[in-house]
Amino acid sequence: MRYTYLWLMQLVTGVLIAVLLGIHMVMQHLEDILGFFRVNLNDPASWQSMIERSRQVIWAGIYIALLAVVLYHALNGLRNVILELTPSVRTERVVTRVIVAFGIIIFAWASYVPIALLSR
Amino acid sequence: MRQIRPRQNYLGVGGWVWAGNYKLERYLYILHRVTGLGILLFLLVHLIVTTFFRIQGQEVWEKAMTVLNNPLFKTGEFLVAVAFVYHALNGLRLLLQELGLLMAKPIPPIYPYSDSLRKKRLWTMAIIGIIIILCLVFFYDFIVGGW
Repeated sequence: MRYTYLWLMQLVTGVLIAVLLGIHMVMQHLEDILGFFRVNLNDPASWQSMIERSRQVIWAGIYIALLAVVLYHALNGLRNVILELTPSVRTERVVTRVIVAFGIIIFAWASYVPIALLSR
Repeated sequence: MRQIRPRQNYLGVGGWVWAGNYKLERYLYILHRVTGLGILLFLLVHLIVTTFFRIQGQEVWEKAMTVLNNPLFKTGEFLVAVAFVYHALNGLRLLLQELGLLMAKPIPPIYPYSDSLRKKRLWTMAIIGIIIILCLVFFYDFIVGGW
């Protein structure tokens, strides 16, 4: 059953990412096409635009939620790719622990940053 | 609890890219995997830029942005955009087909035989078409934006 739930989570996070990163990609990359529809975002990667966002709690929340969802999807996918070699139970456990530890470290650091930037 | 082991992958690493005489979907699967790993690699680089560089202040950030604005990195960005479009839409296809949608209803094998895959292939081709169109949209915007 455990594997089924991991896979179900992979599907759900996949849909969430498709929507959220879809918006992200359109905002970051399609500025000329948005301009055709009279939408002007004033270069979201510029410093001024970024500090305006990073001082709002809602944006920090969005970044951390997106980080959690993306990290789960990416690292579970990587684990699935590695486990397709059907290693022994012991190796599988090592792989799982390394990936979980890696994910926790990245999540801790990368979610600390938006919180620290709130007051800058 | 008894451990249920999956069937052994006798092909080893070769099984990642080759698993017999399969058709189109098999190649889409390989591409799905390659784009997924590519996006994972980009995610790590992206996180380094948006945390280590971002937290050091305006000067470091703007210096990083001038480095990232050269044509080589722009090409990489475009490849990431294409990989994202492919992975998202192919993933959507996989999700819908896992739920039993986008394919014909299975029927008992009684003459005249019919299979549920024909309709599935049609939807697959349609989704490939959408992927190509979206990639062209991104390509247009990269060209107009001065690469």
